[in-house]
This record gives sequence, structure tokens and C-alpha cells, in this order.
Amino acid sequence: MEESGVISGYVESLAGKLAFDRSLARCVRQEVEDHLREAVAAGPEGNALEAERRAVANFGDPQAIAAQFALLSLARQSRKAGVAVVLVIGGVFFAMKARIAWFALTQWVLSEEARAVSAYVVAIDRYAFWLSAVVGLAAWVTISRRRAPAALHPSYRGQLRRFFLLCAIAAGGLLASVICDGVLSAIRLVETELSADFLVPVFSMAIEVACAAVLVFHIRCVARRMASTAALARTAHFG
Amino acid sequence: MPAMEGEMLKGHLDMIVLAALSAGPAHGYAVIEQIKRRSGQAFDLPEGTVYPALHRLEQAGFLAGRWTTAENGRRRRVYTLTKRGSRALADQRAVWKQFSDAIGGLLGGTRPWKNPA
Repeated sequence: MEESGVISGYVESLAGKLAFDRSLARCVRQEVEDHLREAVAAGPEGNALEAERRAVANFGDPQAIAAQFALLSLARQSRKAGVAVVLVIGGVFFAMKARIAWFALTQWVLSEEARAVSAYVVAIDRYAFWLSAVVGLAAWVTISRRRAPAALHPSYRGQLRRFFLLCAIAAGGLLASVICDGVLSAIRLVETELSADFLVPVFSMAIEVACAAVLVFHIRCVARRMASTAALARTAHFG
Repeated sequence: MPAMEGEMLKGHLDMIVLAALSAGPAHGYAVIEQIKRRSGQAFDLPEGTVYPALHRLEQAGFLAGRWTTAENGRRRRVYTLTKRGSRALADQRAVWKQFSDAIGGLLGGTRPWKNPA
């Protein structure tokens, strides 16, 4: 039986609606196409166009199916972001401790003037970091044990909003802490001559900045998937 | 027998899919065929609804999915029930049995259902 293009059009439309998650879109495209081709092959011999139309009609509204897949993608991304929050905060903590240990080991001395400025920045750094750690853990606890629901019902929506808010607060605290660490490192480094000793503080700062960027990236992904899932759910006709 | 409506089934879809896969590993199309055959064509649900359920159950660790190549050369995703999935199915079967007996007693109206608890 020759292909009429109905199945190709349908799977392209379905995959297109999931374009925000490319690996899921690819997987869904292959799986759904396999199903529809098999349904056509198993059906009665006859008009290819009719057979493909029947298979597609039995499969259901692509918007409604895409909305269900989008919810799964959002749930997975949220859990990933929850783990990322904890790992990133841990990463920043170890980078910070490694730098402090290095400063102690190399007996890096600060001038009186720099010490006075540092005291304020250290206080802000400490509070911002611990706020971020506590809120980040709360975000992870909120989402880690949650299974993906079958539909975007109000309680799950509320839980996602809380998770997103906690992640945003944790990221804000972490960014403030990383900026403070940058200022503290700069205060120490500007007072000394350039040497190989600079490598450890610079490298540890690079790790902190990378960790913060990873967290922001994950939160942005969650926000995008939340918007896409909500848009698909709003316009879907569930059978 | 009239076909059961979508909303009625949605709440039980995960259990239905797990039960269909208890017979052995299968790809999406075979799972749907199995559901139709074993239910006597009683379920009127868009076939596409089963795929998000398969993915959801895989995410939850109840199913394990792997890609294979079918005889016609197409890539095909085959799902297998995991130990966790088997346990979840057994739990759901027990709950369903209790529920079904209770409703049966209520609707049948002849013998009251005895709660084993």
C-alpha cells in the first residue's frame, strides 16, 4: 500500500508541538509512526488514504496527546532541576571551602582597609549562601518524590509554582553569594602580585560561576516547559 | 455491552497498561491490542492516550523501555514490566478487588460485602 502522507503529517504535527524537548519529540515521532504504520498494515486492504485517516483518527487529537507528553517532560525537567539545585549548591560550597583553605595554606594576608570591607561582604555572603542552601533543599524535597500526574490538575500546578518560586529564591541567594565570593577574591588578588598562586582562587571562582550558570539554565528550562505545557493544555481537546 | 467512556477509564489507565504488560514485553501497538482483546473491546479510548501512560510508568520505574528494530526495519520501543511495576500491579489488583466486591455488593443488593480488614 502506498503512503498518502497523512501519517507523516500527523507525526510531524505531534513532534512539532513537543519541539521544546527535542529528545522526547524524536522518541514520540518514531514510536507513534511505528504504531500508525502497523495499524494501517493490520487494517483491511484498500484505499491507503482512508486507512491512514482511520489510523490517525483512532489515535486521537495530537494536541491532547502532546499536552500529556509535555506534562511528562515538565515533570522530568522539574526533578532534574531539583537535583541540580542541590548539586550546584554543594559544588559552590566545596569550591568556596577549597579557596578559603588555599588562602590559609598560602598565608595570604589582607591589609587593614581590605579586612574592614571584607567583613561586610563575608556577612552578606554567608547569609545569602545559607538562605540558598536551605531554600534549595526545600525545593528538592518539594519535587523529588512527586510522580508525574496524568493531567495538569490544580494541585500539581500549585506544587510546580511553589517549586519554581523556591528555585528562584535559591538561585538568587546563590548568585548573591557567588558575587560576594568574587568581590572577596578580587580584594585579595588586587593586593598581591600576579603569580601561580592565583590559579586556585581563579579556578574555584570559575567553578562557582559555572555552577550558578547551570542552575539558571535549569530554572529557565523549567519555566519554558511550564509555559509550553500550560499552552498545550489550554488548547487541547481531551477525548 | 456499551463502550466505557474515556473519563471513567483515565483513572485506571496505568493499572490497565501494567496488566496488559504482565503477559510479557510488548511495544505500544501490541499493548493496545492486548487491552482490546482482554477487555472484549469494552474500552473506548483514543489509542494515543496509551503512549503518555507508557512513558509515565517508565519514568516512575514501573516499566523499562528499550529500542529494538522490527522485521520491517522500523525502530520500535518495547516495554517490560519491572519488579517494581509487578509489585504496583499486585497492589492495584488487591485494591481493585476490594472496590469491585464492595460495589458489587452495593449494586447487586443481595449479599452485603464483608470487609476483610
